[in-house]
Amino acid sequence: MAALRYLACSAAFAGVLFSGISSPLAAQDDPEIRFENHQFKPQTLTVPAGRKLTIRVVNASDETIEFESFKLNREEILSPGETTTVHLPALSDGTYDFYDDFHQDVPEGSIVAK
Amino acid sequence: MVTIAASLGAALAAAQLVPVRVSNPPSRGALAAPADVHGILSRSCYDCHSNETRWPWYARVAPLSWMVARDVEIGRREINFSEWGGYLPQTRKRKLQWMHRSLGGESMPPWSYCLMHPQARLDANDRAKLRAWIDTQLKDGDSADTR
Repeated sequence: MAALRYLACSAAFAGVLFSGISSPLAAQDDPEIRFENHQFKPQTLTVPAGRKLTIRVVNASDETIEFESFKLNREEILSPGETTTVHLPALSDGTYDFYDDFHQDVPEGSIVAK
Repeated sequence: MVTIAASLGAALAAAQLVPVRVSNPPSRGALAAPADVHGILSRSCYDCHSNETRWPWYARVAPLSWMVARDVEIGRREINFSEWGGYLPQTRKRKLQWMHRSLGGESMPPWSYCLMHPQARLDANDRAKLRAWIDTQLKDGDSADTR
C-alpha cells in the first residue's frame, strides 16, 4: 500500500515537472503577433486551417491597446509590455481581420487560414 | 480586534488620497439617433460609454471609486457615443457590429452594473429596437450621424 502511494506521488510529481517543462516549449512554438512602433507585426499571419490554434499577442509598445477581431469574436486589452494568448477554434479557409480598437490609425492586420 | 479595526480605518482613509479621474469631458460629435433609441442608450449605456456619465456618490469613495473609474475609462475607450463624430466610417461600422453582437448575447449592460442601476436593464423590446436601428445604420452604410 505504501509502495502504491509512493508510486502515485512520484507519478503526480513527474506530471507536474514535465508539464512545467513542456508548457513553455509549446508556448514558444505558438505564432506571435507583436505590437510595436504603433503597428502590428506581422500584418498578415498565415495559419493552418481546420485545426485549433493559439496565437500569442505581445504588446511591445508603451501604449495600451485592444487586440480585436470581430470575425474571430475576440477582444483583449493589453497594457504596455503585456502578452496574452488567444485561443482560436479550427478556422475555415479565409481571412480574419484584426485591429487595435483603441487607435484608429493603426493599420489593420489579418490572419489568413489556409 | 480594535487594532484591526483601526488599521482598516486608517487604510480606508489613506485610500481616499489616491486620485481618481471622475470627469465628463465635452462632447465631440455625439451620436444622433431617433429619440426612442437615444433614450435607451442614454438610460442603459451612457454612464460607461459616453462623456455624460452620471457619477454616483460612491464614485468618490475608495475603493469603489477605483472600480467605477476603471469601468468608465475602459467603457469610453471601447465605445464613446459622445465622440462618435471622431470615429472613422470603418470604426463606426465595427462598433455597430459589436453592439449588435453584445445585444444578441445579452452581455451588455453587465449584470453587475444592472444590480446597482436596475433601470438600465434592457428588455426584449429595447434590444429589438436597438438592433433594428443598428441594422438600418449598417445597411445605409453611413454608420450613424452625429449632432
